[in-house]
Amino acid sequence: MATITTADTDIHDESGSNYINCSKGILSWIITLDHKRIGVMYVIATLASFLLGGLFALGIRTELIAPGQTIMDADTYNRFFTLHGAIMTFLVIIPAIPGALGNFVLPIMLGAKDVAFPRMNLSSFYLWLLGAALTVYSMLQGGIDTGWTFYTPYSLEEGRDGVFWVGMGVFILGFSSIFTGLNFIVTVQRLRPPGMTWFKLPLFLWALYATAIIQVLATPVLGITMLLLAAERIMGIGIFDPALGGDPILFQHFFWFYSHPAVYIMILPAMGIISELISVHCRREIFGYKMIAFSSVAIAFFSFLVWGHHMFTSGQSPLMNAIFSAITFSVAIPSAIKIFNWLLTMYKGSIAFTTPMLYVLSFIFIFAIGGLTGIPLAILATDVQLHDTYFVVAHFHYVMMGSTLIAMIAGLHHWWPKITGRMYHEWLGRIAAMIVFVGFNLTFFTQFMLGTKGMPRRYHDYQEGLGWSVETTELFHTYHFISTIGSYVMAAGFFMILFYLLQSLVTGRKAPANPWGGASLEWECTSPPPHHNFDETPTPEYCYKFDHWVWSDSEQGYVKKALQ
Amino acid sequence: MSADGEHSAPGHIIPFSYTLGTFVALLFLTVITVGVAQFDLGALDMPVALLVAGVKASIVSLFFMHLRWDRPINILVLIGSIFFVVLFLVITMFDTGQNLDLKYSGDSSKVKEVLESQSFPVVQ
Amino acid sequence: MSLLLSILAAEQPGPIDTGGGFWFVPAASEYATTHDSIYEIVLWLSIFFFVLIVGIMIKFAWDYRRKSNNEPAGFGPTHSLVLETTWTVIPLLLSGVLFFIGIDTYADFKSPPANCYEVDATAQKWAWQFDHRNGASDSMVLKVPVGKPTRVTLHSNDVLHSFFIPAFRVKQDVVPGRYGSLWFTPDKPGVYQGFCTEYCGTGHSKMNFWVEAIPQEDFDDVIAKDARWIDDYSGDRLVWAGARLFSRCASCHSLKPGERMTGPSMWDLHANWGKTKKIEIDGKIQNVKIDENYILESIVAPWEKIAPTYMNQMPANFGKQLSSKELDALVRFVRQLDLVTDDNGQIKTEPLLSVTN
Repeated sequence: MATITTADTDIHDESGSNYINCSKGILSWIITLDHKRIGVMYVIATLASFLLGGLFALGIRTELIAPGQTIMDADTYNRFFTLHGAIMTFLVIIPAIPGALGNFVLPIMLGAKDVAFPRMNLSSFYLWLLGAALTVYSMLQGGIDTGWTFYTPYSLEEGRDGVFWVGMGVFILGFSSIFTGLNFIVTVQRLRPPGMTWFKLPLFLWALYATAIIQVLATPVLGITMLLLAAERIMGIGIFDPALGGDPILFQHFFWFYSHPAVYIMILPAMGIISELISVHCRREIFGYKMIAFSSVAIAFFSFLVWGHHMFTSGQSPLMNAIFSAITFSVAIPSAIKIFNWLLTMYKGSIAFTTPMLYVLSFIFIFAIGGLTGIPLAILATDVQLHDTYFVVAHFHYVMMGSTLIAMIAGLHHWWPKITGRMYHEWLGRIAAMIVFVGFNLTFFTQFMLGTKGMPRRYHDYQEGLGWSVETTELFHTYHFISTIGSYVMAAGFFMILFYLLQSLVTGRKAPANPWGGASLEWECTSPPPHHNFDETPTPEYCYKFDHWVWSDSEQGYVKKALQ
Repeated sequence: MSADGEHSAPGHIIPFSYTLGTFVALLFLTVITVGVAQFDLGALDMPVALLVAGVKASIVSLFFMHLRWDRPINILVLIGSIFFVVLFLVITMFDTGQNLDLKYSGDSSKVKEVLESQSFPVVQ
Repeated sequence: MSLLLSILAAEQPGPIDTGGGFWFVPAASEYATTHDSIYEIVLWLSIFFFVLIVGIMIKFAWDYRRKSNNEPAGFGPTHSLVLETTWTVIPLLLSGVLFFIGIDTYADFKSPPANCYEVDATAQKWAWQFDHRNGASDSMVLKVPVGKPTRVTLHSNDVLHSFFIPAFRVKQDVVPGRYGSLWFTPDKPGVYQGFCTEYCGTGHSKMNFWVEAIPQEDFDDVIAKDARWIDDYSGDRLVWAGARLFSRCASCHSLKPGERMTGPSMWDLHANWGKTKKIEIDGKIQNVKIDENYILESIVAPWEKIAPTYMNQMPANFGKQLSSKELDALVRFVRQLDLVTDDNGQIKTEPLLSVTN
């Protein structure tokens, strides 16, 4: 019979050691092998990158607030949108949930003491740092202006040396991602405690497992692509440059073969977080556990078959276009299944509008729009009109930012008490969640209309002299103005989050072991957990039955009902 | 730490001669690759290159990566990855092949004339 | 640029891209109308599902809100084969329907009819060049007949660009190293905007063009006149030919004093005609006299002499694209710039010939 330290014994045990205070000094963090400390370092690193990428975004939005040059010229603008995309994609969204929340939560949720390869875990963080350093170095050298997609032959032109540095940074970041994925696969396969069968795994772990498969299978292709790009630039091997007999479309095939599965690396763990949070904050067993689990794996598989839908107007043959369009619909089905399963989880639940739950509701609203706007992009005839316009920009921000990033913030709030041992100010959290939701929709909804009206992407300017009538320029101005104001509102929301989260570290109430009433294994440890997670191997039970946990007013959290 | 699963072929360490042999075989096959590249085999160019590369990959995975003495499931994992590589290459090459006739074979007189009189003006 | 707009303004009846509803610019071809109806179907389907999902979410959130912390955990059904099947099969069927609706129209888009009017479009950083088979050529306006399909063959001289005309709902990337094409049939006369929509560098936002749909009965005459347009210009009028040709240069060169764009301002050259200016050859600063030879060399061999603080990025093939008379006209244009521009650096309206033709 496992004796798991319960909330009652540890919550007021001031001398209790946890993973934060069990060893002191900066060196103990720099060479730590503890997955929890690595997770915390990832949280700080990815959030710092988010701030940087967000500042670039604010620059872009400020330039576009009115026709004509507002604060920067075309060359600067082109660098801003390139770096915004590269930083957000490679430094924030791809590593954030697996590296930050996954690293922290996965072993504890599984019932293990750590991941299978702790040194590989630490290496993956340092590889992230190295990749980030190369990107920042390139920025200091003047940055790149090719767009985060590095399309050839523009990225092959002489003098654009930043492409080499960012390309190498991306190459190294790829290894960070591969190491994380490999670690997770082996951990979930091998380190499950007795009794933790596949169908007792929390859905977040199913999601991370599916993500890890994609990470390991797809990221090497990105690595090769960057190497080939560098080889083309330096040695002129003639693979992508038409002047040397190469094919620019080949580069696009290479690039998107990774980058499409990459967007599922982003969204799958996010969906896993939503599955966890919705059942905990509705205090009700998740609806359709097996379907959600299978749909994660299905999405992972189908994600490899649809990369051509980024290339419908690029010169890809009509036959391939038709095939990719048809298969793209198949990826939408598992996502739809998840949404309906989540909705049914709310049915007859006991729903608390905590900060994480508000983010979950935002996610469903925003992901519905993001997913549905993918349909005109999947249909060939309408994609011809909408490709490379602001419609696509709005669509991917709805799914990447409004869904993935919001799920990450939701997860951060949900596990914040566990990670830091502190509660943040709940009302500030709710208000910030609403501000972010409103700001997000203001920012990106008008961009759908900008796109259908024909405003192309990556334009630093829009004015009557550049091809639009006076009336349309006025219309675009209105849409862009709303969008920019929305971005400032959203930024205010995010700065508010930063503020109260930091504040909680200093003055936040000490967190109980189980503030939300979750039933998965991480809520059985103290907040923060001890260094080795569990005293003895835990006995896993199905983690979506919540009746064992009851509210305790003295704890201001949930405690296990006394077992006879 | 791990509560389930045994390691396959416990304690089996391949003799150094296998590692050395793999290295020598790879060197030899690389020489073959470079040598064959000097001749133009026409349509056989790609199949020959892939064949040599396939032999090299097999030697590395079977011997150096220990798969010959490993559980069959691990070979399945490798073959699964190869499936995705093949998928990627086949679809990409198919698409490239579909567009071959568009490469500078248009029927526009003016464009053809411009193309013939210049070769990819490079922005210097 | 304004010369062009004034020409266009006289010909087109009203706003070109306004009207057309909440989402798109007005449809200017039958294909565009079909496209819009596909979008309508998807739009209403999406609105239906969005209202369904968010409506259910709000209803459940309200109905099952937690009223006290001591409330027991929620309890409800946890799986339902019927529901799971329903919401798998229905989206699957809808996907099939949507795919087939789209593919039909797309196949149409990809099948130009046999009797198309053929035009070539060349994309280059950062402007287009439209060449008709009879020799007519223009850099800003693509003239096409109404009611007859036009096929545009696309080619790039340097990097990826994309040819996009929102009014016709057509787009195709222009890839260096291969030909692409697209076709459309305008169903009424008018002027429609076109844009480059694949990122290509500094001037990507400035690479717009216009499509002018001319009634079929007038079209042949217009194009024939265009082919020999420069024949009407000689002597004193040659400078106006240069003004017309200048639209090709306007995306990188300004006519305002001191205004710096990708390239130097033409006004500064004009104002200093006959004087010397500094240029860079192989990194060394030297002097050159601003005269006809300098202007001509700067067009046909722009890499030879670079103005200090500017980069060597003028395309190298203008000399092959322009006839000697056209080059003459451009040189004359720079020399006599004050005759054809007003105080704001805008090209004045060209005076009509005294003889009507």
